[in-house]
Amino acid sequence: MIPVELSKLLRSRRTWMTIAMIDALPALVAVLLAVTDLGPRPGTGPAFLSAVLTDGTLYPLAALAIVLPLFLPIAVALTAGEAVAGEAQQGTLRYLLVRPVGRVRLLVAKLVASMVFVVLAVLVVAATAYVLGVLLLGDESITVTGPTTSVSGTALSTPELVARTGLAFGYAILCMLGVACVALFLSTVVRTPAAAAFGTLGLLVGSTVLLTLDAAQVLHPYLPTRYWIAFVDLFRDPILWRDIVRGTLLQLAYVVVFLGAAWASFATKDVSD
Amino acid sequence: MPEPRSTAPRRWAVVAVVAALLVAGPLAWRARPVAADDATAAVVAERVRASADASWSGLVETSGALQLPAADELSDLGRLLGERTRLRAWWQDDRRWRVDELLPAGEHGLRRDGVGLVSWDFERDRATVSRDPDVRLPRSSDVLPPALARRVLDGVGDDDLERLSDERVAGRTALGLRVRPPSPLSSIDHVDLWADRETGVALRVEVYADGQAAPSFTTAFVEHDPGRPDDAEVGPVTGQRVDVEYDEALDIADAANQYAPLRPPGSLVGLPQAEATDGAVGVFGAGTTQLVTIPLRGREAEPFREQLQAVPGAAVTAERTVAAVGPLTVAITGSDDGGLLLAGWVTPEAMGRAAAEAVAGYEYTGDR
Repeated sequence: MIPVELSKLLRSRRTWMTIAMIDALPALVAVLLAVTDLGPRPGTGPAFLSAVLTDGTLYPLAALAIVLPLFLPIAVALTAGEAVAGEAQQGTLRYLLVRPVGRVRLLVAKLVASMVFVVLAVLVVAATAYVLGVLLLGDESITVTGPTTSVSGTALSTPELVARTGLAFGYAILCMLGVACVALFLSTVVRTPAAAAFGTLGLLVGSTVLLTLDAAQVLHPYLPTRYWIAFVDLFRDPILWRDIVRGTLLQLAYVVVFLGAAWASFATKDVSD
Repeated sequence: MPEPRSTAPRRWAVVAVVAALLVAGPLAWRARPVAADDATAAVVAERVRASADASWSGLVETSGALQLPAADELSDLGRLLGERTRLRAWWQDDRRWRVDELLPAGEHGLRRDGVGLVSWDFERDRATVSRDPDVRLPRSSDVLPPALARRVLDGVGDDDLERLSDERVAGRTALGLRVRPPSPLSSIDHVDLWADRETGVALRVEVYADGQAAPSFTTAFVEHDPGRPDDAEVGPVTGQRVDVEYDEALDIADAANQYAPLRPPGSLVGLPQAEATDGAVGVFGAGTTQLVTIPLRGREAEPFREQLQAVPGAAVTAERTVAAVGPLTVAITGSDDGGLLLAGWVTPEAMGRAAAEAVAGYEYTGDR
């Protein structure tokens, strides 16, 4: 079941178009930064965007900070939201279930395909950003093998930078796994993929709005977007694990609850489409 | 084939129970009861005072509602007192410490290395080395709970103290204490603090202005380790590409203190000059009833005066402008050109008198 879903994903032109669109924004930003040499004023703009004018090897992180709050979750919500509702809308769901395939296995296969999409998108963004960062940004006197400067002002060796960058991208993928599970659950409930995607985005927008309100502080630790940007803490010295750990546990809780809800919903659902 | 519909309620019940446990579990863990301690208020205060040499590390969150006038020279102070901030600190002793203000996209670090002060700004990729004078503007290290609690208890007698119920702060048992300012001049109604039962280090401090039910400023540990931090953790900024600058003056107060050819009076509104006073900037009173006077040149005073006049409720006269921002009262003398900036925890009425006395009492000492 999983190979079938992966094959469908990788052969779909829409998959690669979406990834290209996600990748386009950080690529455009890199070109603009290189041409104008104008970074955001301190305290404004995505993380690491001012630092990349000095050190282009940090651009994958800046690119992650650009796509993580909006572009990536939209793409994940659209992809995972289509998992079940898309098949139902096309009238192919009942044919899928005619095969001797358990519904849980189908759900898992759909989720795996969504996550492979996220991993692909993140890898393409990281690779593009690294190449553009090294070629277009940074001080020419700085080599890609030289130590970089952590957020705390200490030296980070290249192996440390690579390891922490890997952790940051892994953390971002985990955050998107939570989004995918919400969209997958909604996909088992509604009849159209758009409704599932908009429902997921509604939750994320609501979470982002509530995070700005002091009155909603009691809810903050439970909001799905609360710890998304915590990957910046991996580049402090020493690493500040508090929000990374909390963000990981929170995303795992979202995975457990919404995957469980998708299972409860889909396993007993009457399928006529 | 779908499973029988009769199994659906059971499946949803399992999901609901798991979700409830995931939500309630952390709440229940945090709400576990605290063992009562029979220490008196005076004993708790003494433990806090005695913790001055304690070492520790931790993560602090502050929340302030003190909206200072938006003058460039005070921008960091305005953020510190008027916004929500996260501070990560390592404290060996008063001479060796590190406090990082964590920003969503960077970090402002302060490191005291035994001799001088190094401030680090990630987004500007710049480190600044300066001396660390006693007379200066408040900074991140001053709003850490241990530092603020010790300042609050300065000059406070046992009669001004009251025991509060104990609480759990940053996972540690903390003894509660209410401090009421001993002087009627203070604009602070009371300060509540909670100190670690084992070490006496203050873990949470809440400052209440006169007539306010909610705290105007709160600072509290969310993580606290009573152990001594390693030398490496309080070590210097070592990034190879860091631009290092050397500043002769730490901030606007230090610059005025060093270079303004003036001397402050010996007391203001009955508050004696503090020992820290060693130049043109005057420090008067102590603890919860303290004010400072800073001589400003025209180019610094005029924009600040404009901002202060725009504060709701500001009292503007030809002699001075006085405004209260929560329990913090700020005044600037004159109506144009240079003037004396006064700020402190005193009532607006006392601040008005202090401003008049300061104008009359400052002495010109010749060019510096």
